[in-house]
Amino acid sequence: MANVLDLRRRIRSVKNTRQITKAMKMVSAAKLRRAQERAMQARPYAQMISNVLESLVRRTDMYSDETGDLLHPLLVEREEKNVLVVVIAGEKGFAGAFNSNITKAALNFINERRSKDQNVDVEAVGRKARDLVGKKYPQANYEKTEEHYDNDLSTHFEVIRHRGAPVEMTGDHPALLNKVSIDEVGDLAHSIIERYTRAEIDSVYIVYNEFKSVISQRVVVEKLLPIRKLGSPEITVAEEMTEEQKEAAGHAARTSGVSVNVPEDEAVESEAKKFGTAEVDYIFDPEPQKLFRHLLPRYVTTQLFHALLESVAAEHAARMTAMDSATNNAGDMIDALSLEMNRVRQAAITKEIIEIVSGAAAL
Amino acid sequence: MREVSGTVGGDHGKEGMADINQSGLLTVRLVTSDRILVDTTAEAVELPAMSGYLEALYGHAPLLAELGAGEVRLHGGESGDKKFFVAWGFVEVLPERVTILAENAEEPGEINVEEARGELSEAEKLWQEAGDDQRKYDEANAVARQAEAKIVSAEGGQH
Repeated sequence: MANVLDLRRRIRSVKNTRQITKAMKMVSAAKLRRAQERAMQARPYAQMISNVLESLVRRTDMYSDETGDLLHPLLVEREEKNVLVVVIAGEKGFAGAFNSNITKAALNFINERRSKDQNVDVEAVGRKARDLVGKKYPQANYEKTEEHYDNDLSTHFEVIRHRGAPVEMTGDHPALLNKVSIDEVGDLAHSIIERYTRAEIDSVYIVYNEFKSVISQRVVVEKLLPIRKLGSPEITVAEEMTEEQKEAAGHAARTSGVSVNVPEDEAVESEAKKFGTAEVDYIFDPEPQKLFRHLLPRYVTTQLFHALLESVAAEHAARMTAMDSATNNAGDMIDALSLEMNRVRQAAITKEIIEIVSGAAAL
Repeated sequence: MREVSGTVGGDHGKEGMADINQSGLLTVRLVTSDRILVDTTAEAVELPAMSGYLEALYGHAPLLAELGAGEVRLHGGESGDKKFFVAWGFVEVLPERVTILAENAEEPGEINVEEARGELSEAEKLWQEAGDDQRKYDEANAVARQAEAKIVSAEGGQH
Protein backbone atom coordinates (compact mmCIF):
# COMPACT_ATOMS: atom_id res chain seq x y z
CA MET A 1 0.00 0.00 0.00
CA ALA A 2 1.28 3.46 -0.96
CA ASN A 3 2.24 5.67 1.89
CA VAL A 4 0.76 9.06 2.71
CA LEU A 5 3.70 11.01 1.40
CA ASP A 6 3.56 9.37 -2.05
CA LEU A 7 -0.14 10.03 -2.32
CA ARG A 8 0.28 13.62 -1.26
CA ARG A 9 2.92 14.09 -3.95
CA ARG A 10 0.67 12.59 -6.58
CA ILE A 11 -2.22 14.81 -5.56
CA ARG A 12 -0.01 17.86 -5.86
CA SER A 13 1.12 16.86 -9.35
CA VAL A 14 -2.46 16.23 -10.53
CA LYS A 15 -3.47 19.59 -9.10
CA ASN A 16 -0.77 21.28 -11.14
CA THR A 17 -1.97 19.54 -14.28
CA ARG A 18 -5.51 20.63 -13.50
CA GLN A 19 -4.39 24.20 -13.26
CA ILE A 20 -2.75 24.03 -16.67
CA THR A 21 -5.72 22.41 -18.39
CA LYS A 22 -8.01 24.95 -16.78
CA ALA A 23 -5.89 27.81 -18.09
CA MET A 24 -5.82 26.26 -21.56
CA LYS A 25 -9.57 25.91 -21.45
CA MET A 26 -10.03 29.56 -20.64
CA VAL A 27 -7.62 30.61 -23.37
CA SER A 28 -9.47 28.45 -25.89
CA ALA A 29 -12.77 29.89 -24.75
CA ALA A 30 -11.51 33.42 -25.35
CA LYS A 31 -10.19 32.46 -28.77
CA LEU A 32 -13.41 30.68 -29.56
CA ARG A 33 -15.48 33.75 -28.75
CA ARG A 34 -13.37 35.81 -31.11
CA ALA A 35 -13.47 33.20 -33.86
CA GLN A 36 -17.21 32.81 -33.46
CA GLU A 37 -17.74 36.51 -33.77
CA ARG A 38 -15.58 36.66 -36.86
CA ALA A 39 -17.49 33.85 -38.49
CA MET A 40 -20.72 35.68 -37.66
CA GLN A 41 -19.56 38.96 -39.09
CA ALA A 42 -18.48 37.32 -42.29
CA ARG A 43 -21.94 35.88 -42.86
CA PRO A 44 -23.69 38.87 -44.47
CA TYR A 45 -21.05 39.08 -47.19
CA ALA A 46 -21.24 35.39 -47.98
CA GLN A 47 -25.02 35.57 -47.99
CA MET A 48 -25.05 38.55 -50.32
CA ILE A 49 -22.59 37.04 -52.77
CA SER A 50 -24.62 33.90 -53.13
CA ASN A 51 -27.81 35.94 -53.42
CA VAL A 52 -26.58 38.12 -56.25
CA LEU A 53 -25.40 35.01 -57.98
CA GLU A 54 -28.74 33.32 -57.60
CA SER A 55 -30.55 36.40 -58.76
CA LEU A 56 -28.32 36.68 -61.82
CA VAL A 57 -28.85 33.06 -62.68
CA ARG A 58 -32.59 33.63 -62.68
CA ARG A 59 -32.26 36.60 -64.98
CA THR A 60 -29.68 35.50 -67.46
CA ASP A 61 -29.14 32.68 -69.81
CA MET A 62 -26.44 30.34 -68.65
CA TYR A 63 -25.89 29.05 -72.15
CA SER A 64 -24.40 31.03 -74.98
CA ASP A 65 -26.82 31.86 -77.81
CA GLU A 66 -24.34 31.09 -80.55
CA THR A 67 -22.60 27.94 -79.45
CA GLY A 68 -24.95 26.53 -76.84
CA ASP A 69 -22.04 26.10 -74.45
CA LEU A 70 -22.18 26.90 -70.79
CA LEU A 71 -21.10 30.45 -70.19
CA HIS A 72 -18.72 29.76 -67.39
CA PRO A 73 -16.10 27.02 -67.02
CA LEU A 74 -16.89 26.65 -63.32
CA LEU A 75 -20.37 25.39 -64.14
CA VAL A 76 -19.16 22.75 -66.55
CA GLU A 77 -19.57 19.22 -65.27
CA ARG A 78 -17.12 16.61 -66.43
CA GLU A 79 -16.85 12.96 -65.61
CA GLU A 80 -14.96 12.74 -62.31
CA LYS A 81 -11.57 11.28 -63.09
CA ASN A 82 -9.37 13.59 -61.09
CA VAL A 83 -10.72 14.83 -57.81
CA LEU A 84 -9.25 17.51 -55.59
CA VAL A 85 -9.97 17.38 -51.89
CA VAL A 86 -9.17 20.31 -49.64
CA VAL A 87 -8.67 19.01 -46.11
CA ILE A 88 -9.10 21.65 -43.44
CA ALA A 89 -7.90 20.47 -40.04
CA GLY A 90 -6.39 22.15 -37.02
CA GLU A 91 -3.18 23.95 -36.34
CA LYS A 92 -2.36 22.29 -33.03
CA GLY A 93 -3.16 19.15 -31.09
CA PHE A 94 -4.78 18.84 -27.66
CA ALA A 95 -8.18 19.26 -29.24
CA GLY A 96 -9.80 15.94 -28.49
CA ALA A 97 -10.95 14.03 -31.53
CA PHE A 98 -11.07 17.14 -33.72
CA ASN A 99 -8.08 16.36 -35.93
CA SER A 100 -8.58 12.61 -36.00
CA ASN A 101 -12.24 12.97 -37.03
CA ILE A 102 -11.29 15.13 -39.97
CA THR A 103 -8.42 12.87 -40.90
CA LYS A 104 -10.71 9.85 -40.77
CA ALA A 105 -13.28 11.55 -42.99
CA ALA A 106 -10.59 12.61 -45.46
CA LEU A 107 -9.00 9.18 -45.66
CA ASN A 108 -12.40 7.54 -46.09
CA PHE A 109 -13.15 9.95 -48.89
CA ILE A 110 -9.84 9.23 -50.60
CA ASN A 111 -10.29 5.46 -50.29
CA GLU A 112 -13.81 5.63 -51.62
CA ARG A 113 -12.65 7.60 -54.64
CA ARG A 114 -9.75 5.25 -55.20
CA SER A 115 -12.13 2.30 -55.23
CA LYS A 116 -13.90 4.02 -58.13
CA ASP A 117 -10.53 4.32 -59.81
CA GLN A 118 -10.39 8.06 -59.61
CA ASN A 119 -7.21 10.01 -59.03
CA VAL A 120 -7.16 12.20 -55.96
CA ASP A 121 -5.22 15.38 -55.26
CA VAL A 122 -4.90 16.54 -51.68
CA GLU A 123 -4.61 20.15 -50.63
CA ALA A 124 -3.88 20.37 -46.92
CA VAL A 125 -4.89 23.39 -44.89
CA GLY A 126 -3.54 23.56 -41.36
CA ARG A 127 -0.46 21.92 -39.88
CA LYS A 128 -2.33 18.84 -38.69
CA ALA A 129 -3.90 18.22 -42.08
CA ARG A 130 -0.45 18.24 -43.60
CA ASP A 131 1.07 15.97 -40.98
CA LEU A 132 -1.80 13.49 -40.74
CA VAL A 133 -3.09 13.32 -44.31
CA GLY A 134 -0.79 15.15 -46.70
CA LYS A 135 2.45 13.48 -45.66
CA LYS A 136 1.09 10.04 -46.54
CA TYR A 137 1.24 10.91 -50.22
CA PRO A 138 3.97 12.05 -52.58
CA GLN A 139 4.23 15.66 -53.69
CA ALA A 140 2.72 16.49 -57.07
CA ASN A 141 5.18 17.30 -59.79
CA TYR A 142 4.63 20.35 -61.94
CA GLU A 143 6.73 21.40 -64.87
CA LYS A 144 6.77 24.98 -65.90
CA THR A 145 7.79 25.57 -69.48
CA GLU A 146 8.91 28.89 -70.71
CA GLU A 147 9.04 29.89 -74.34
CA HIS A 148 10.70 33.04 -75.46
CA TYR A 149 10.00 34.60 -78.81
CA ASP A 150 10.00 37.95 -80.55
CA ASN A 151 13.64 38.43 -79.53
CA ASP A 152 12.84 37.64 -75.92
CA LEU A 153 10.34 40.46 -75.78
CA SER A 154 7.57 38.12 -75.01
CA THR A 155 7.37 34.95 -72.99
CA HIS A 156 4.83 32.20 -72.90
CA PHE A 157 4.37 30.12 -69.78
CA GLU A 158 2.77 26.78 -69.52
CA VAL A 159 2.31 24.54 -66.55
CA ILE A 160 2.27 20.81 -67.11
CA ARG A 161 1.40 18.26 -64.46
CA HIS A 162 3.21 14.96 -64.33
CA ARG A 163 1.16 12.56 -62.32
CA GLY A 164 3.31 9.93 -60.68
CA ALA A 165 0.91 8.35 -58.22
CA PRO A 166 -2.88 8.02 -58.01
CA VAL A 167 -2.98 10.12 -54.84
CA GLU A 168 -0.73 13.13 -54.60
CA MET A 169 -0.42 16.21 -52.45
CA THR A 170 -0.62 19.36 -54.53
CA GLY A 171 -0.04 21.85 -51.81
CA ASP A 172 -0.16 22.60 -48.14
CA HIS A 173 -1.00 25.79 -46.33
CA PRO A 174 0.13 25.42 -42.76
CA ALA A 175 -0.09 29.09 -41.82
CA LEU A 176 -3.39 29.91 -43.46
CA LEU A 177 -5.37 29.24 -40.30
CA ASN A 178 -3.39 31.58 -38.08
CA LYS A 179 -4.86 34.67 -39.56
CA VAL A 180 -7.55 33.79 -42.03
CA SER A 181 -7.31 36.63 -44.52
CA ILE A 182 -9.48 36.91 -47.59
CA ASP A 183 -6.47 37.71 -49.77
CA GLU A 184 -4.66 34.51 -48.90
CA VAL A 185 -7.81 32.46 -49.23
CA GLY A 186 -8.32 34.18 -52.57
CA ASP A 187 -4.91 32.98 -53.75
CA LEU A 188 -5.79 29.41 -52.87
CA ALA A 189 -9.19 29.73 -54.53
CA HIS A 190 -7.63 31.13 -57.68
CA SER A 191 -5.13 28.33 -57.90
CA ILE A 192 -7.98 25.83 -57.53
CA ILE A 193 -10.09 27.61 -60.13
CA GLU A 194 -7.18 27.70 -62.52
CA ARG A 195 -6.61 23.97 -62.17
CA TYR A 196 -10.31 23.35 -62.68
CA THR A 197 -10.46 25.56 -65.73
CA ARG A 198 -7.56 23.85 -67.46
CA ALA A 199 -9.24 20.49 -66.66
CA GLU A 200 -6.45 19.19 -64.46
CA ILE A 201 -9.15 18.36 -61.94
CA ASP A 202 -12.81 17.55 -62.56
CA SER A 203 -14.32 18.30 -59.18
CA VAL A 204 -13.37 19.86 -55.88
CA TYR A 205 -14.49 18.88 -52.37
CA ILE A 206 -13.75 20.37 -48.97
CA VAL A 207 -13.54 18.25 -45.82
CA TYR A 208 -13.97 20.37 -42.74
CA ASN A 209 -15.68 20.73 -39.40
CA GLU A 210 -18.85 22.75 -39.78
CA PHE A 211 -19.62 24.98 -36.85
CA LYS A 212 -23.04 26.43 -36.07
CA SER A 213 -22.56 26.66 -32.34
CA VAL A 214 -20.61 24.84 -29.64
CA ILE A 215 -23.18 22.07 -29.43
CA SER A 216 -24.02 21.94 -33.10
CA GLN A 217 -21.10 20.80 -35.17
CA ARG A 218 -20.35 18.09 -37.69
CA VAL A 219 -17.59 16.98 -40.01
CA VAL A 220 -18.77 17.40 -43.58
CA VAL A 221 -17.63 16.80 -47.13
CA GLU A 222 -18.84 19.70 -49.21
CA LYS A 223 -18.74 19.90 -52.97
CA LEU A 224 -17.15 23.16 -54.08
CA LEU A 225 -16.86 22.68 -57.82
CA PRO A 226 -18.54 22.35 -60.24
CA ILE A 227 -21.21 24.65 -58.93
CA ARG A 228 -24.42 22.81 -59.57
CA LYS A 229 -26.99 24.38 -57.34
CA LEU A 230 -26.23 27.86 -56.15
CA GLY A 231 -26.79 28.81 -52.56
CA SER A 232 -27.28 25.25 -51.36
CA PRO A 233 -24.02 23.38 -51.67
CA GLU A 234 -24.00 19.60 -51.76
CA ILE A 235 -23.02 18.33 -48.35
CA THR A 236 -22.33 14.83 -47.15
CA VAL A 237 -22.15 14.45 -43.41
CA ALA A 238 -19.23 12.33 -42.32
CA GLU A 239 -19.44 12.63 -38.57
CA GLU A 240 -22.23 13.97 -36.38
CA MET A 241 -21.81 14.88 -32.71
CA THR A 242 -23.10 12.29 -30.26
CA GLU A 243 -25.34 13.27 -27.35
CA GLU A 244 -22.44 12.62 -25.01
CA GLN A 245 -20.16 14.95 -26.91
CA LYS A 246 -22.87 17.56 -26.99
CA GLU A 247 -23.22 17.36 -23.25
CA ALA A 248 -19.48 17.65 -22.71
CA ALA A 249 -19.29 20.60 -25.07
CA GLY A 250 -22.29 22.23 -23.41
CA HIS A 251 -20.72 21.82 -19.99
CA ALA A 252 -17.43 23.31 -21.19
CA ALA A 253 -19.23 26.26 -22.75
CA ARG A 254 -21.38 26.96 -19.69
CA THR A 255 -18.43 26.93 -17.31
CA SER A 256 -16.42 29.32 -19.45
CA GLY A 257 -19.12 31.75 -20.41
CA VAL A 258 -19.50 30.90 -24.09
CA SER A 259 -22.99 30.96 -25.52
CA VAL A 260 -24.27 27.59 -26.70
CA ASN A 261 -27.13 28.92 -28.75
CA VAL A 262 -27.01 29.39 -32.46
CA PRO A 263 -26.89 33.16 -32.79
CA GLU A 264 -30.05 34.44 -34.37
CA ASP A 265 -30.21 36.29 -37.61
CA GLU A 266 -29.86 39.96 -37.04
CA ALA A 267 -31.75 42.59 -38.96
CA VAL A 268 -28.71 43.17 -41.11
CA GLU A 269 -28.59 39.55 -42.03
CA SER A 270 -32.20 39.26 -42.97
CA GLU A 271 -31.65 42.28 -45.18
CA ALA A 272 -28.55 40.64 -46.57
CA LYS A 273 -30.86 37.90 -47.78
CA LYS A 274 -32.62 40.41 -49.98
CA PHE A 275 -29.46 41.72 -51.58
CA GLY A 276 -29.72 41.84 -55.34
CA THR A 277 -33.00 40.02 -55.40
CA ALA A 278 -35.55 42.86 -55.52
CA GLU A 279 -38.29 42.18 -58.01
CA VAL A 280 -37.33 45.05 -60.25
CA ASP A 281 -35.52 45.40 -63.52
CA TYR A 282 -31.98 46.23 -62.62
CA ILE A 283 -29.65 48.19 -64.81
CA PHE A 284 -26.60 45.97 -65.06
CA ASP A 285 -23.14 47.37 -65.39
CA PRO A 286 -21.41 45.59 -67.04
CA GLU A 287 -23.85 43.21 -68.75
CA PRO A 288 -25.16 40.29 -66.65
CA GLN A 289 -23.02 37.62 -68.30
CA LYS A 290 -19.88 39.52 -67.50
CA LEU A 291 -21.00 40.25 -63.96
CA PHE A 292 -21.71 36.58 -63.57
CA ARG A 293 -18.26 35.64 -64.80
CA HIS A 294 -16.62 37.89 -62.26
CA LEU A 295 -18.89 36.79 -59.45
CA LEU A 296 -18.23 33.08 -59.64
CA PRO A 297 -14.58 33.14 -58.52
CA ARG A 298 -15.58 35.39 -55.63
CA TYR A 299 -18.31 32.96 -54.74
CA VAL A 300 -15.79 30.13 -54.58
CA THR A 301 -13.42 32.25 -52.48
CA THR A 302 -16.22 33.12 -50.08
CA GLN A 303 -17.26 29.48 -49.67
CA LEU A 304 -13.70 28.54 -48.84
CA PHE A 305 -13.26 31.52 -46.54
CA HIS A 306 -16.40 30.59 -44.71
CA ALA A 307 -15.29 26.98 -44.25
CA LEU A 308 -11.97 28.18 -42.85
CA LEU A 309 -13.56 30.54 -40.35
CA GLU A 310 -15.94 27.85 -39.14
CA SER A 311 -13.15 25.33 -38.87
CA VAL A 312 -11.06 27.72 -36.77
CA ALA A 313 -13.99 28.26 -34.41
CA ALA A 314 -14.57 24.51 -34.26
CA GLU A 315 -10.94 23.85 -33.42
CA HIS A 316 -11.06 26.21 -30.47
CA ALA A 317 -14.37 24.75 -29.34
CA ALA A 318 -12.93 21.24 -29.52
CA ARG A 319 -9.90 22.27 -27.51
CA MET A 320 -12.07 23.99 -24.95
CA THR A 321 -14.19 20.87 -24.55
CA ALA A 322 -11.18 18.59 -24.37
CA MET A 323 -9.54 20.77 -21.74
CA ASP A 324 -12.76 20.95 -19.77
CA SER A 325 -12.98 17.15 -19.68
CA ALA A 326 -9.33 16.99 -18.69
CA THR A 327 -9.97 19.44 -15.87
CA ASN A 328 -12.96 17.40 -14.69
CA ASN A 329 -11.00 14.17 -14.85
CA ALA A 330 -8.20 15.73 -12.86
CA GLY A 331 -10.76 16.79 -10.26
CA ASP A 332 -12.16 13.22 -10.05
CA MET A 333 -8.66 11.87 -9.74
CA ILE A 334 -7.82 14.26 -6.91
CA ASP A 335 -10.97 13.19 -5.09
CA ALA A 336 -10.11 9.52 -5.47
CA LEU A 337 -6.53 10.06 -4.37
CA SER A 338 -7.58 12.16 -1.39
CA LEU A 339 -9.97 9.46 -0.31
CA GLU A 340 -7.28 6.85 -0.55
CA MET A 341 -4.81 9.06 1.26
CA ASN A 342 -7.24 9.60 4.13
CA ARG A 343 -7.89 5.90 4.30
CA VAL A 344 -4.19 5.11 4.49
CA ARG A 345 -3.70 7.76 7.16
CA GLN A 346 -6.68 6.48 9.10
CA ALA A 347 -5.37 2.94 8.90
CA ALA A 348 -2.03 4.04 10.25
CA ILE A 349 -3.68 5.90 13.14
CA THR A 350 -5.92 2.94 13.95
CA LYS A 351 -2.94 0.66 13.90
CA GLU A 352 -1.06 2.89 16.32
CA ILE A 353 -4.03 3.07 18.69
CA ILE A 354 -4.37 -0.71 18.66
CA GLU A 355 -0.69 -1.01 19.42
CA ILE A 356 -0.96 1.42 22.35
CA VAL A 357 -4.11 -0.17 23.68
CA SER A 358 -2.77 -3.70 23.44
CA GLY A 359 0.49 -2.48 24.98
CA ALA A 360 -1.46 -0.96 27.91
CA ALA A 361 -3.50 -4.16 28.31
CA ALA A 362 -0.35 -6.22 28.54
CA LEU A 363 0.94 -4.22 31.53
CA MET B 1 -12.83 59.17 -66.05
CA ARG B 2 -15.51 60.77 -64.08
CA GLU B 3 -18.93 60.20 -65.45
CA VAL B 4 -21.68 61.10 -63.12
CA SER B 5 -25.06 59.74 -63.91
CA GLY B 6 -27.76 61.61 -62.13
CA THR B 7 -30.84 60.19 -60.63
CA VAL B 8 -33.20 58.54 -62.95
CA GLY B 9 -36.76 59.49 -62.29
CA GLY B 10 -39.33 58.04 -64.63
CA ASP B 11 -41.36 54.93 -64.37
CA HIS B 12 -39.78 52.46 -62.03
CA GLY B 13 -42.69 52.68 -59.64
CA LYS B 14 -43.15 48.95 -59.33
CA GLU B 15 -42.98 46.87 -56.18
CA GLY B 16 -39.63 48.34 -55.24
CA MET B 17 -41.10 51.75 -54.64
CA ALA B 18 -43.90 50.70 -52.35
CA ASP B 19 -42.07 50.60 -49.04
CA ILE B 20 -39.87 53.59 -49.69
CA ASN B 21 -39.24 55.99 -46.83
CA GLN B 22 -39.98 59.62 -47.36
CA SER B 23 -36.88 61.09 -45.75
CA GLY B 24 -35.07 61.55 -49.03
CA LEU B 25 -32.06 59.84 -47.55
CA LEU B 26 -30.37 56.73 -48.83
CA THR B 27 -29.56 53.93 -46.44
CA VAL B 28 -25.94 53.08 -47.12
CA ARG B 29 -24.26 49.91 -46.09
CA LEU B 30 -20.68 48.98 -46.81
CA VAL B 31 -20.05 45.28 -46.27
CA THR B 32 -16.63 43.68 -46.53
CA SER B 33 -15.70 40.04 -46.50
CA ASP B 34 -15.17 40.06 -42.75
CA ARG B 35 -17.44 42.71 -41.31
CA ILE B 36 -19.99 45.44 -41.86
CA LEU B 37 -17.86 48.55 -42.06
CA VAL B 38 -20.51 51.23 -42.42
CA ASP B 39 -24.23 51.37 -41.81
CA THR B 40 -25.52 54.88 -42.17
CA THR B 41 -27.58 57.25 -44.29
CA ALA B 42 -26.51 59.77 -46.92
CA GLU B 43 -27.96 62.16 -49.46
CA ALA B 44 -25.63 61.09 -52.19
CA VAL B 45 -23.10 58.33 -52.74
CA GLU B 46 -20.28 58.35 -55.25
CA LEU B 47 -19.25 54.89 -56.34
CA PRO B 48 -16.17 53.68 -58.22
CA ALA B 49 -17.82 51.28 -60.66
CA MET B 50 -15.71 49.25 -63.06
CA SER B 51 -16.57 51.57 -65.91
CA GLY B 52 -16.03 54.83 -64.02
CA TYR B 53 -17.42 56.77 -61.12
CA LEU B 54 -21.16 57.10 -60.75
CA GLU B 55 -23.24 58.95 -58.24
CA ALA B 56 -26.45 57.66 -56.75
CA LEU B 57 -29.05 59.96 -55.26
CA TYR B 58 -32.31 59.11 -53.57
CA GLY B 59 -34.70 57.51 -56.03
CA HIS B 60 -32.04 56.15 -58.35
CA ALA B 61 -33.20 53.41 -60.66
CA PRO B 62 -32.28 49.88 -59.50
CA LEU B 63 -28.75 49.12 -60.53
CA LEU B 64 -26.36 46.25 -60.04
CA ALA B 65 -22.78 47.14 -60.87
CA GLU B 66 -19.33 45.76 -60.46
CA LEU B 67 -16.91 47.83 -58.41
CA GLY B 68 -13.43 48.78 -59.47
CA ALA B 69 -10.84 50.26 -57.18
CA GLY B 70 -11.34 53.75 -55.83
CA GLU B 71 -13.19 55.76 -53.25
CA VAL B 72 -16.74 55.55 -52.05
CA ARG B 73 -17.77 59.05 -51.04
CA LEU B 74 -20.79 59.72 -48.89
CA HIS B 75 -22.36 63.15 -48.80
CA GLY B 76 -24.86 64.55 -46.32
CA GLY B 77 -27.07 62.42 -44.13
CA GLU B 78 -26.19 61.26 -40.64
CA SER B 79 -22.64 60.48 -41.64
CA GLY B 80 -21.67 63.91 -42.91
CA ASP B 81 -19.10 63.69 -45.66
CA LYS B 82 -17.12 60.50 -45.52
CA LYS B 83 -14.76 58.61 -47.76
CA PHE B 84 -13.74 54.99 -47.92
CA PHE B 85 -11.24 53.24 -50.08
CA VAL B 86 -12.73 50.14 -51.70
CA ALA B 87 -11.51 47.63 -54.23
CA TRP B 88 -13.39 44.92 -56.14
CA GLY B 89 -16.85 43.84 -55.37
CA PHE B 90 -20.39 44.67 -56.28
CA VAL B 91 -22.89 47.36 -55.53
CA GLU B 92 -26.64 47.26 -55.52
CA VAL B 93 -28.50 50.54 -55.83
CA LEU B 94 -32.20 50.60 -55.04
CA PRO B 95 -34.26 53.80 -54.91
CA GLU B 96 -33.86 54.13 -51.15
CA ARG B 97 -30.86 51.94 -50.42
CA VAL B 98 -27.28 51.43 -51.52
CA THR B 99 -25.47 48.26 -50.53
CA ILE B 100 -21.79 47.99 -51.32
CA LEU B 101 -20.13 44.60 -51.23
CA ALA B 102 -16.41 45.21 -51.22
CA GLU B 103 -13.65 42.66 -51.12
CA ASN B 104 -11.29 45.23 -49.63
CA ALA B 105 -12.32 48.40 -47.85
CA GLU B 106 -10.46 50.79 -45.60
CA GLU B 107 -10.83 54.26 -44.22
CA PRO B 108 -8.30 56.59 -45.85
CA GLY B 109 -6.69 57.21 -42.47
CA GLU B 110 -6.03 53.49 -42.02
CA ILE B 111 -4.17 53.05 -45.28
CA ASN B 112 -0.53 52.23 -45.08
CA VAL B 113 0.96 54.25 -47.95
CA GLU B 114 4.33 52.53 -47.76
CA GLU B 115 2.65 49.18 -48.17
CA ALA B 116 0.61 50.47 -51.10
CA ARG B 117 3.78 51.68 -52.80
CA GLY B 118 5.28 48.26 -52.24
CA GLU B 119 2.21 46.72 -53.90
CA LEU B 120 2.63 49.08 -56.83
CA SER B 121 6.22 48.04 -57.46
CA GLU B 122 5.10 44.42 -57.02
CA ALA B 123 2.56 45.06 -59.77
CA GLU B 124 5.28 46.42 -62.04
CA LYS B 125 7.23 43.25 -61.49
CA LEU B 126 4.14 41.21 -62.34
CA TRP B 127 3.78 43.21 -65.52
CA GLN B 128 7.30 42.31 -66.56
CA GLU B 129 6.68 38.67 -65.83
CA ALA B 130 3.30 38.48 -67.48
CA GLY B 131 4.67 38.17 -70.99
CA ASP B 132 1.92 37.34 -73.43
CA ASP B 133 -0.27 35.74 -70.80
CA GLN B 134 -3.45 37.77 -70.91
CA ARG B 135 -4.70 36.53 -67.59
CA LYS B 136 -1.50 37.38 -65.77
CA TYR B 137 -1.43 40.74 -67.43
CA ASP B 138 -4.96 41.45 -66.23
CA GLU B 139 -3.99 40.36 -62.76
CA ALA B 140 -1.00 42.72 -62.75
CA ASN B 141 -3.28 45.48 -63.95
CA ALA B 142 -5.72 44.80 -61.15
CA VAL B 143 -3.00 44.91 -58.51
CA ALA B 144 -1.64 48.15 -59.93
CA ARG B 145 -5.06 49.74 -60.12
CA GLN B 146 -5.81 48.86 -56.53
CA ALA B 147 -2.45 50.15 -55.29
CA GLU B 148 -2.77 53.39 -57.21
CA ALA B 149 -6.29 54.01 -55.99
CA LYS B 150 -5.13 53.29 -52.45
CA ILE B 151 -2.33 55.83 -52.65
CA VAL B 152 -4.58 58.47 -54.17
CA SER B 153 -7.17 57.86 -51.49
CA ALA B 154 -4.63 58.02 -48.67
CA GLU B 155 -3.21 61.28 -49.90
CA GLY B 156 -6.68 62.74 -50.20
CA GLY B 157 -6.15 63.70 -53.85
CA GLN B 158 -8.83 63.94 -56.53
CA HIS B 159 -9.03 61.79 -59.60
